[in-house]
Amino acid sequence: MRPRAVAGGVFASASVLLIGWQIGAAQVSATTSTSTPATGSTSGSSGSASTGSGSTGSASGSTGTSSGSSASTATPSASATATPAAGSSVSGTFDGATTETRFGPVQVEIVVSAGKITDVVALQLTNEGGRSVEISNYAAPILRTEALSAQSAKIQSVSGATYTSEGYVTSLQSALDKAGL
Amino acid sequence: MTSTIELHTTVRLPPAPAPRIEVATRLRRRDRRRRNAAVDALAIIVWVSAALAAALYLASPGAHILSGGAAFVTAAGIVAGLVATDLVLVMIVLAARVPLIDRVFGTDRAIAVHRSLGKPVLYLILVHGLLITIGYGLSDRTNPVAETISLFTTLPDMPLAYLSLGLFVAVVVTSLVAVRRRLPYEAWHVIHLLSYAAVAVALPHQLSVGSVLASGTWQRVYWIALYVLALGAIVVYRFLLPILVTFQHRIRVVAVEPIAPGVVSIHLSGRDLTRLGVQGGQYGVWRFWTTGTWWHAHPVSFSAVPSENHARITVRDLGAGSRRLSRIRAGAFVSLEGPYGLFTAKARTAPYLTLIASGIGITPIRSLLEDSVLREGEATVLLRGSDPDQRYLWNEVADLATVTRSEIFAMIGPRPSGADAWQSAEDWNRGVTLTSTFPHLLESDLYICGPQPWTDLVVRDARLAGVPEHQIHQERFSS
Repeated sequence: MRPRAVAGGVFASASVLLIGWQIGAAQVSATTSTSTPATGSTSGSSGSASTGSGSTGSASGSTGTSSGSSASTATPSASATATPAAGSSVSGTFDGATTETRFGPVQVEIVVSAGKITDVVALQLTNEGGRSVEISNYAAPILRTEALSAQSAKIQSVSGATYTSEGYVTSLQSALDKAGL
Repeated sequence: MTSTIELHTTVRLPPAPAPRIEVATRLRRRDRRRRNAAVDALAIIVWVSAALAAALYLASPGAHILSGGAAFVTAAGIVAGLVATDLVLVMIVLAARVPLIDRVFGTDRAIAVHRSLGKPVLYLILVHGLLITIGYGLSDRTNPVAETISLFTTLPDMPLAYLSLGLFVAVVVTSLVAVRRRLPYEAWHVIHLLSYAAVAVALPHQLSVGSVLASGTWQRVYWIALYVLALGAIVVYRFLLPILVTFQHRIRVVAVEPIAPGVVSIHLSGRDLTRLGVQGGQYGVWRFWTTGTWWHAHPVSFSAVPSENHARITVRDLGAGSRRLSRIRAGAFVSLEGPYGLFTAKARTAPYLTLIASGIGITPIRSLLEDSVLREGEATVLLRGSDPDQRYLWNEVADLATVTRSEIFAMIGPRPSGADAWQSAEDWNRGVTLTSTFPHLLESDLYICGPQPWTDLVVRDARLAGVPEHQIHQERFSS
């Protein structure tokens, strides 16, 4: 092969690879930025909760307004039982939002008893594409165990089940938001 | 010999006076630049297509959230599979006899590249299967054997993928030089056709199991387009076009003329044969539709430039199939793929022309000389035979040399037994070389056609004498 063809080929190939990488990276950052508002609102609500705990004396009053503002998204029964701050007495079942992933929707439900997550139930898991079901069945128990021990959505994603893990975490976080945890 | 029909091809006078040397040189330099640019562009397209295959993966979100060793092993496996498939499609296009590729690169060189890709691509496919099995196995915490079983049994299109792998192995193994030599051409060819099946049955698992080509992605659209392009090239240029050419020109055998022991000229009639656009030095792939011969395709050079209704090829019985050709009767229906080849005056790059032919290699040299517009003394012809029986068509070439005012030499006798030489033993001892035979050797286009070992020796001597690579032209007959 002539040097010109080799040089041109290498240069063009490198460009193509770089562009491909950029496109992929842009997509990933787009999906994280769309999920960032969710985490943002999460930290916001936890922030308001902490301010609630800060003004401990007027706890119930401020809680009433804060739970009222979050009640628009949460189930009425949940908001009724939801108590703030220490969050010690939240109980009930909270459904997370359905998160669309590349391999299908993911939705989890948490069971909360006295402010503690006692169970995480996967209502829907990735099921599109040949291996997805297999991966989901493998990943779900691991994610559940992690969530129960962490008592939050700050859990490691399961390698080989990245999409499932992402969807799981997102849905879990929205369920925690509803529960006000 | 025939006496009733006039079979001898009439030697045509050059249609126009040869252009002045400067003009011809300038035009050739321009043509060569264009051909080189086209070849480089094609090479770059191949590079880019391979890079694009890898980029498909890089552009998928999965490539950006890798964690753990297993994920990286799987990722490498995915990229290997994508690049391998892309190269398989490139190989198909190279074998598709695409006119552009034949015109700028030559079908023989395209096939040589096709062949050189075979083994590396098979390795890539094997690496793909191996890495993905290991990668999945690591993330599922199972061993590769158990993972293979689970892949085979639980996923929808994986049995087809394994079938494809098996077919690729069979195709490449039967194409290894050592194995292929033991196989009849037809057996090899039938097995080789399985590569289309291999490519086809590999597709479902790429689309269903893999996530890179998931439905709704542009990657999937691009990938299917590649498949359509490659297989479309095969369908159009290897099936539809030859059928069209065959029915348009209605070629039939007029007579089979023995011209020497074991050598026959087959005279063909047809309609509008000049519209085939055959240039002197090109060949066709011929099929004679009689009971004993229809299943055998013969790559044979035109031994004369076709006229309106008449064409001629000259064949030596090199194999069982060719031997049967000498018994073909007049009236047999003939199908043609082609014309192919860059062994033509269009490929010239230098002010002088040197033609060297040995044995049946005379046929393209003869039609090339017939189709060349030459100044006096521009061309020098050397005809080589190992014995006087091998002087096939020499009288015709001598006539053409007279008409084109070219010099012509003959060299008869076996090669020296002790030395690697293309000359006859006698001339070898006298010290005859390319340089001593052709005074303008270094400013010449060298067209060499003969048995491959002999041709290789001539090419070696030409290179040693300092003839630039682009001035050396040879046609390798092997499909």
